[in-house]
Amino acid sequence: MEELIRTALDAAGERGVVQSEVRVVAPDRYLQLAVRNGSASALTDSRTSALGVRVRTRRAWGFATTSDLRPGPVREVAHLAVRLARAAGRSRREPLRVTDEGYPRGGRYETSLRHDPFNSSLDPVIDLLRTAEKRLHVSRTVKSGIASFSAWEENKWFASSAGASYTSRIVHVGAGVSATAVRGSHVQRRSYPASHGGDFSQAGFEFVEGLDIAGRAADVGGEAVALLDAPACPTATTTLVLGSEQLALQVHESVGHAVELDRILGSEAAFAGTSWIAPEKVGSLRYGSEFMNVVADATERGGLGTFGWDDEGVPSRRTAIVDQGLLVGTLSSRESAAELGLSRSGGTARASGGDRAPLVRMTNIDLEPGDSSFEELLEGVIDGVYMETNRSWSIDDRRLNFQFGTEVGRRIVNGELGELLRNPLYSGMAPEFWASMDAVGDKTTRHLWGLPNCGKGQPIQVARVSHGAPSARFRRVAVRGG
Amino acid sequence: MAKRRAIPPEGDAVRLLENLPPRLAGDLRLTTTASTTIRFANNRIRQPHLERSRHVSLRVANGKRLATATGSDASQVGLESLLETARNLARIAPVERKFPGFRAPEGRRGRPVAFSSSTARSTPEAVSRMAEEVLAAAESAAPGARVAGVVVAGSETIRVVNSSGLDRSSDRSFAYGSVLVERPTEDPPVSGWSEGAHWDSGRLESAALGREAAERMARSPPERTEPAKLPVVLRGPAVADLLRFLASLGFAANGEVEGWSCLAGRRGKTIAPEEVQLTDDARSRESVPQGIDYEGTWTKPVPLITNGVAGNVVTDLITSGRLGLPLTGHALPPEAPWGDFGPVPSNLILAPGTASEEELAREVGRGLLVTRFHYVRVVDPGRGIITGMTRDGTYLIEKGEVTTPVRNLRFTESVLSALASIRAIGRARRIYSEGGGAVTAPALALGGFRFTSATLF
Repeated sequence: MEELIRTALDAAGERGVVQSEVRVVAPDRYLQLAVRNGSASALTDSRTSALGVRVRTRRAWGFATTSDLRPGPVREVAHLAVRLARAAGRSRREPLRVTDEGYPRGGRYETSLRHDPFNSSLDPVIDLLRTAEKRLHVSRTVKSGIASFSAWEENKWFASSAGASYTSRIVHVGAGVSATAVRGSHVQRRSYPASHGGDFSQAGFEFVEGLDIAGRAADVGGEAVALLDAPACPTATTTLVLGSEQLALQVHESVGHAVELDRILGSEAAFAGTSWIAPEKVGSLRYGSEFMNVVADATERGGLGTFGWDDEGVPSRRTAIVDQGLLVGTLSSRESAAELGLSRSGGTARASGGDRAPLVRMTNIDLEPGDSSFEELLEGVIDGVYMETNRSWSIDDRRLNFQFGTEVGRRIVNGELGELLRNPLYSGMAPEFWASMDAVGDKTTRHLWGLPNCGKGQPIQVARVSHGAPSARFRRVAVRGG
Repeated sequence: MAKRRAIPPEGDAVRLLENLPPRLAGDLRLTTTASTTIRFANNRIRQPHLERSRHVSLRVANGKRLATATGSDASQVGLESLLETARNLARIAPVERKFPGFRAPEGRRGRPVAFSSSTARSTPEAVSRMAEEVLAAAESAAPGARVAGVVVAGSETIRVVNSSGLDRSSDRSFAYGSVLVERPTEDPPVSGWSEGAHWDSGRLESAALGREAAERMARSPPERTEPAKLPVVLRGPAVADLLRFLASLGFAANGEVEGWSCLAGRRGKTIAPEEVQLTDDARSRESVPQGIDYEGTWTKPVPLITNGVAGNVVTDLITSGRLGLPLTGHALPPEAPWGDFGPVPSNLILAPGTASEEELAREVGRGLLVTRFHYVRVVDPGRGIITGMTRDGTYLIEKGEVTTPVRNLRFTESVLSALASIRAIGRARRIYSEGGGAVTAPALALGGFRFTSATLF
């Protein structure tokens, strides 16, 4: 592989190129096993490879990629990357700046795991999925049962014309079940341990065993059926307590994306959108209540956003984003950090594979736990709503106006959870919502959730990220039944 | 019609599938992609991307146990490795009782679909020039505004071979452009949007996209408006989003198989005014065509709504077996089964009406003009309810005239209610497509559309 990388770097070393980087991901492996209503809706073992060359001239980037890892095609894409950068430079007068910070000179990062899913028999996995899926069908109204398992293995080589290099092997796994109950046009779904395919971690198969999806499946099916007869969530402005998984997605959408520096600077304006945060407000903007503390932590054990170095060779780090409600940091790359006048990148430039250029992405964006037990979050709530497990999510292009639906709601009456509520929705504006957070759950309510489907960029890149989130309480939130 | 490009050298897929061990059958997809994507933001090109990729997907059936292996290596060694992997996986697969077996190449050969070899051969410099044209036109029409967007051009060749003797291939050329023109420092900021796609990059009219986006940007600060159920004119990009969700929630196979389709029990019934004709046609020159699906079935026009009456869902091999419906040529790659939905209409074409945009506004009287939506998601699949935000050009319509820009609103509405409330259909159509699939749509006037909240800009 080193020889192939040298071939690419040599070919990219044309006149006008300030620096070139090569990333190879080979194999980029994805195991996908899913049982749906007794059949295999997915049973796939994918092993692709790609090499990407990114060059920087004085005024622009160029990125080209091939899946053909022979010297000829590799040289060709290196030349094409240079042609792209030269063509791109025509539209720009000012120099392209990046932060002046070091690169790794060798090094390796590997996922720590006990039970490697890529070196094990899959027979027990399929048995587990078949058992779990079957148990979801507690009645004939469960029309769809799904049990799924996924595992990713990314073997990466990174090198630059300046002599930088590192390698890594990162393994992610996850699993989940969901049941859909149908009566006429009424459709109710329950999922475990989370929607969007379950929960995911940087770990081995031991993580999946710990989820006990087969043990929980019957309860999941039963709750989907029970929701068909549950009353709709009332329309009110009330106290809302969010479960950890839903709060993780709230963090993702209304904090994580909003603090991506490329969005703040307008680089993603046409597609993903921008941010309600003005660049000059970083360091002084009040984002939420004093109970709000958010960090970006690419060093966190088990996170899908944990690595040794990002895809620009910046070492992983933990960065404060919101400190007692004040916005103090952002997610950034070498270019976006330099554009804002920062001396170093946040180390969050990530690419979804060897065939994509790095973008500013989330790593593990965590809402820090507070000191309230779950019971204390409910205490004193005379009439409110508890919601858990995401069902729908939407937010505007500046990350202000959001509306989330969850699979299940429960009435809170006099500090205790009451009846099930179907189709619960809540909505609001991000800064007002975060300002209304008056209590945050302690470590016993906190979980690190893996989210494998964060889309950004053109061509689209799907990133896997994590969010540590406790439960939390919010006052005067608009809720209703969908 | 331009001469087709030769498929690059590869291992002998036909021989591999002809010599499968006993009880095994299979189909293989070889997809070769070449594309250039030029993103621009803050009035300059920022993220130029060029891709040359090859993807092989081999599905093996051991009796009725199916599994798939995919990779990038199409050499003989690579293909044999995939076979070994898929075979091992199929051994543990659950039985798919309704799997009808791979199809022999029966039926007439489909006519070639429209293809542009010049688009397929687009150089990095040529696509960069298109981006520069968009930028220059937008900057000229809106001096001082911030311009962002993307231009894409390229091609994809799909070859499908199966153990029943099928060996078919199809080329697809594609070009796409979109542009946002905005004044982000105004309070609240204003913006305008335009986009278009074609199978021929020469007909993308890059400069016109830039000018149109600039013209659609508000000239005065957007005013607040109260959310309510309001008549609307939806421009093409917004209509395209509605139709995509209608296709997934109402005409995708899995929803019908499992009973959660929003059109379950309503096939053959009137769901829209008589003027509404919606077809899925992957062969049409009015779309971004593709000649075969990922099982090698020739694509063909499939009526979805005829004179306002709902038709059937689209299918692939397995769902046609489960539903007892004809195979329509909508198979996706088996390794990417598109989440919950399964086979889904992917080349939607809504027949045009006769109204200009001004006439659509007159039809509405008082309501809103919406250019596009943002972040649309499903709220309730059974009732077809979706939610999303308006974006980049939302205006008040008063006395049949487009007047004041308004701040963006959130809608939460059933696609079926929206469809049933169509009052008039625009005559001008455009293709909207990014990535696979396309929607060809005119603007629409709707009698009522439910807005549930407003945002700050």
